[in-house]
Amino acid sequence: MSMLDGWWDDFFFGLVTVLQVFSVSLVIAVVCGLLGASAKLSKSRVLRGIAQAYTIVFRGAPELLVLLLFYFGMAIALTQVVQLFDPSVKFIDLPPFWAGSIAIGLIVGAYMTETFRGAFLGVDRGQIEAARALSLKRHQIFRYVRFPQMWRLALPNFGNHMLSIMKDTALVSIIGLEEILFVAKMANSLIHRPFLLYMTVALIYLAITTVITLAVGWLEVRANRHLRGAR
Amino acid sequence: MSFDLSLIASSLPKILQGLGLTLNLLAVSTLFGLILAVGILLMRLSRRAWLVWPARAYIYFFRGTPLLVQLFVIYHGLPQFGFIRQSVFWPILRDPYWCSVIALSLNTAAYVSEILRGGVLGVDKGFIEAGKALGLSKFQRTTRITAPLAVRLALPAYSNEIVSMLKSTALASTVTLMEMTGVARTIVADTFAPYEIFIAATIIYLVLVWIIQTAFTLIETYTNRHVRKI
Amino acid sequence: MADIIVLEKMNKFYGTYHALKDVNLTIAKGEKVVVCGPSGSGKSTMIRCINRLEEHDSGRIIVAGEELTDDEKKIDRVRREVGMVFQSFNLFPHMTVLENLTLAPRLVRKTATAEAEAIAMKYLTRVRIPDQAHKYPSQLSGGQQQRVAIARALCMNPEVMLFDEPTSALDPEMISEVLDVMTDLAQEGMTMVCVTHEMGFARSVADRIVFMDHGEIVEVAKPYDFFASPKSERARTFLGQILAH
Repeated sequence: MSMLDGWWDDFFFGLVTVLQVFSVSLVIAVVCGLLGASAKLSKSRVLRGIAQAYTIVFRGAPELLVLLLFYFGMAIALTQVVQLFDPSVKFIDLPPFWAGSIAIGLIVGAYMTETFRGAFLGVDRGQIEAARALSLKRHQIFRYVRFPQMWRLALPNFGNHMLSIMKDTALVSIIGLEEILFVAKMANSLIHRPFLLYMTVALIYLAITTVITLAVGWLEVRANRHLRGAR
Repeated sequence: MSFDLSLIASSLPKILQGLGLTLNLLAVSTLFGLILAVGILLMRLSRRAWLVWPARAYIYFFRGTPLLVQLFVIYHGLPQFGFIRQSVFWPILRDPYWCSVIALSLNTAAYVSEILRGGVLGVDKGFIEAGKALGLSKFQRTTRITAPLAVRLALPAYSNEIVSMLKSTALASTVTLMEMTGVARTIVADTFAPYEIFIAATIIYLVLVWIIQTAFTLIETYTNRHVRKI
Repeated sequence: MADIIVLEKMNKFYGTYHALKDVNLTIAKGEKVVVCGPSGSGKSTMIRCINRLEEHDSGRIIVAGEELTDDEKKIDRVRREVGMVFQSFNLFPHMTVLENLTLAPRLVRKTATAEAEAIAMKYLTRVRIPDQAHKYPSQLSGGQQQRVAIARALCMNPEVMLFDEPTSALDPEMISEVLDVMTDLAQEGMTMVCVTHEMGFARSVADRIVFMDHGEIVEVAKPYDFFASPKSERARTFLGQILAH
């Protein structure tokens, strides 16, 4: 491991970048998932159609392709918009951080759409009727009856989606964001220990995904505690 | 903003030149992955700890790390060792095609073995007890009762895994392979029309996904014919 | 006595299916009414219209002086005065028994938590399971769950209680523990509308029996008259089937 001396702080900052991309992507994915699920469950045919197209495209296209499309495509779009105001601008680079986070967020958001939709439909109708019979208001029914039960149903898949986001962050190195895989490539060009370096990256990812898995497991135990000792 | 529809149309045939390699990677890796997955599944279901734990460790590693990193470890990482460069496997391990196949197969095997395990655990114990009561041997119960029912239960998840594999083949472009995404990236580097080219490539992938899903729907209808309402 | 529920020429359709046909029924405060009839006769639909879990298509429904319309505020006022017990209990699985009982009083009646818990314990004692307060519903038997559901409705201190086949989902040995609680409630003077196939309960508790078939009220009678000499052929057939075993 002494061969990696001098590179640890680069790996550390790479790790911070990974966690930043993860956090931003997660927020985007949850927002897209909630919007997508609401659209799929709405009465409007237009909204349902848009949500359907969204999930088909973002679940069907390779993650790498979506990422490249966002990174290069949005840079061009941005440049053209800016050139309308200032023709002297030659090229505007979309920061890879944002291109990557938005692309990953939209991709995983498409999967979350299906998860949230399923969880919403999975709550027994009788539960909602009982709450209405007790004259709870719509927002109270959502907050106290529907959401806690949705959460329990969605949690296992939600955990898998978090793992997907985490693993997808490795792709962002391809568009030049200095996360841990990128750091390993840089280091390799100087010290030529590719196996050691890439294996280090793998183990860092393994550590983070382990933490996520344990955290989701803990949340699941909490969400299911009412089933303990059930007959 | 310029957006050239004719460019999409004209780039489709060029990108389709990578279709063969994409499908080749998909088919070969799916086959190897399935064989490996069955082996891991048998280890995982065994009662012997020295078989169970390696299987669990394998699944844990390959599901817990990004495929791109696995690919880099195999393609860029292994040549670090002299004994690998001197071994009989070197012609395979220096070839980006085989490295991609190995990474994809190892990766999918971890997921598929868990999908199959879910199917096996989902088989109703009552059917297995009925098999015991009829005097079938353990091998007969496994091949005639558990396996066919488990496959039916696992099919929907397996079709998702195949779609996921198709998308993963795009990563082969990062180790210089000219499958569809690789071809698309080359054209973009020449024309610098990323929107049109990448959208054209996306359309082809979506058609392939549609074909895979339709095929699996047909297979599921066939395997579930015993529950069809008359 | 004042009329607490009035149904006037009420009709209900599911698409083209005519589920309730010109239903007229008036229930006075303190009255106990048992609704019976073959499955698919519209009994459940009728009582679900009373607290607007189903919307009627024509006619009038007046509950506790409020006519039910699209007005959300009126619906809320009516639901506060009408307790409901479901066939499948519908206890909230993620809340303890006590949380199930205090939820609506706290959120709707704005009762302080300590007071809501005191009220909840009072009703849990009435339904004879105060010791289960801190368990989750899945840890109780079906009969216990249904008694919790009755207590949950009572915690809102309703004017009327609706029962939608409260014992149909229960194992035979648990039916009587629920019926005993309902009989107690009747003797305390609660207004009750009860859809049930328990004819023994109907005979001993009901003031009137409403017999429905094919979405119509076919016959309304005192229990003695209904069981001894049903006027309609359809009621005779129904009683013949249900009393045969």
